Amino acid sequence: MTIGDWNEAATELNEIVASFDEGEVSVDDLFVRLERATQIIESLEARLDATKAKVEELAPRIARVAERE
Amino acid sequence: MALEDSVTDEPILEVGQFYELLTAQLESAFGRRRPRWVRGEVAKVYEKTHLYIDLVDAGSTSSDAKRPVLNAHCWASQWNPLKRKLADDGVTLKPGVIVNCFGYVDLYAPQGRIGFTVTAIDVEGLLGDVARRRQELIARLKHEGLLETNKNRPLSPVPLRVGLVASPGTEGYSDFTGQLLKSGYGFEILLAKTAVQGEAAPAQIANAIEQLDELDLDVICLVRGGGSKGDLASFDDERVARAIASARTPVFTGIGHTGDESIADLVAHTRAITPTKLGEEIVTLVATWAQRNVRVPAQRILSATGAILDEATVYVGERRRTMIFAVRDRLRLEERHLVATRERLTLQGAHILEASTQMLVSARQLLSAYDPTRRLAQGWSIVTNANGRVVKALADVHEGDHVLVRVSDGTFDSQVLEMDKGTK
Repeated sequence: MTIGDWNEAATELNEIVASFDEGEVSVDDLFVRLERATQIIESLEARLDATKAKVEELAPRIARVAERE
Repeated sequence: MALEDSVTDEPILEVGQFYELLTAQLESAFGRRRPRWVRGEVAKVYEKTHLYIDLVDAGSTSSDAKRPVLNAHCWASQWNPLKRKLADDGVTLKPGVIVNCFGYVDLYAPQGRIGFTVTAIDVEGLLGDVARRRQELIARLKHEGLLETNKNRPLSPVPLRVGLVASPGTEGYSDFTGQLLKSGYGFEILLAKTAVQGEAAPAQIANAIEQLDELDLDVICLVRGGGSKGDLASFDDERVARAIASARTPVFTGIGHTGDESIADLVAHTRAITPTKLGEEIVTLVATWAQRNVRVPAQRILSATGAILDEATVYVGERRRTMIFAVRDRLRLEERHLVATRERLTLQGAHILEASTQMLVSARQLLSAYDPTRRLAQGWSIVTNANGRVVKALADVHEGDHVLVRVSDGTFDSQVLEMDKGTK
């Protein structure tokens, strides 16, 4: 099952967390939902790491523009 | 005229003698020792080591073949210092200028020509004339609305394409371009080379402005470093003023020193006091634009990027922890539920067992109450007929039937002798 863009993934993750909070999850579903939540979290972290790497590359260039006298 | 009318006692003169006599007469009346002021309008002027200038009556026209002309000249020894002073004051002797010359008459016999040797020129008068004509030009430009025309041209917020009217190699050129180049911004400078002083300068400058105006530039800069009034006279020229006013492109000026104000400055869109200041103003315009449209957005992007990443990092971390705790809590809840269920079942089983036992005891007690043995022991007996059936009513027997009577410790036969309904 594919994972959507950041907002879609975050929405799905929030729904999973809410279902846990509200006690809607049966023990049979627990593993399935946990596995899905783990996939989403890992995907978000991977995207975050990739974005951070790009930002670290670009930030000094933007900073040079921002700090130019 | 009749010959007799020509009779005179004077001796006949040779040509040379005649000029000598004429020279002596002129010398005595208008010669070196009796110099005079002569006012005239410059009709022609020519300089070759010495100054040669033809003066006519002011207002006379060249079509008038009979108008008097005074061929004046100023020898280099006197002309050179005069020339410097005139140049310093921005005065150019050119056709149309009215000038007061001080000098004396001379006669050049080889060409039979009377001339006028100029020893002094009324500079103050000339200056007044220059100033008057300058004010007249300003008034004319103002009347035509040309002082404001170029000021109303819209200026690009980021003037990077710069047309430059200047003389390469001059300080003004270097000062101006130096400011633009050291700024680090991507200025594109299109240079129109011109003289910035001298007779040819005004036409060249006006022409350069017109040519640059065709190139869709952001601004045209007219630049000239400091100098004497004479050096800067080109920028008071009407041709230059009209070229600036007519330009669709905003024209900026940076001419001369602080305090110099030319007509070009008055007509221009923006005036800086020096070429350096003009360069600074152009750079400031670009820098201000860049600050507002590049640097500030860049700073905001940097700041926002950090905030977004921080927020996302916190979000993912928080969600990870939430999931771990939620699953753990859920599992603990299930465990507790199972334990409770097990305990409840165990407890309920004991209760059921006890209740069942109690029920069995009660049943057993109830059953024991109906035990026939106990009834027989109490004196009760059980009578059965010949068919082995328990005799419960008179109908079950007949008189004469043999019945078996069972008591607590055995049986005996008996016979029905009489039947009586009801108790005796």
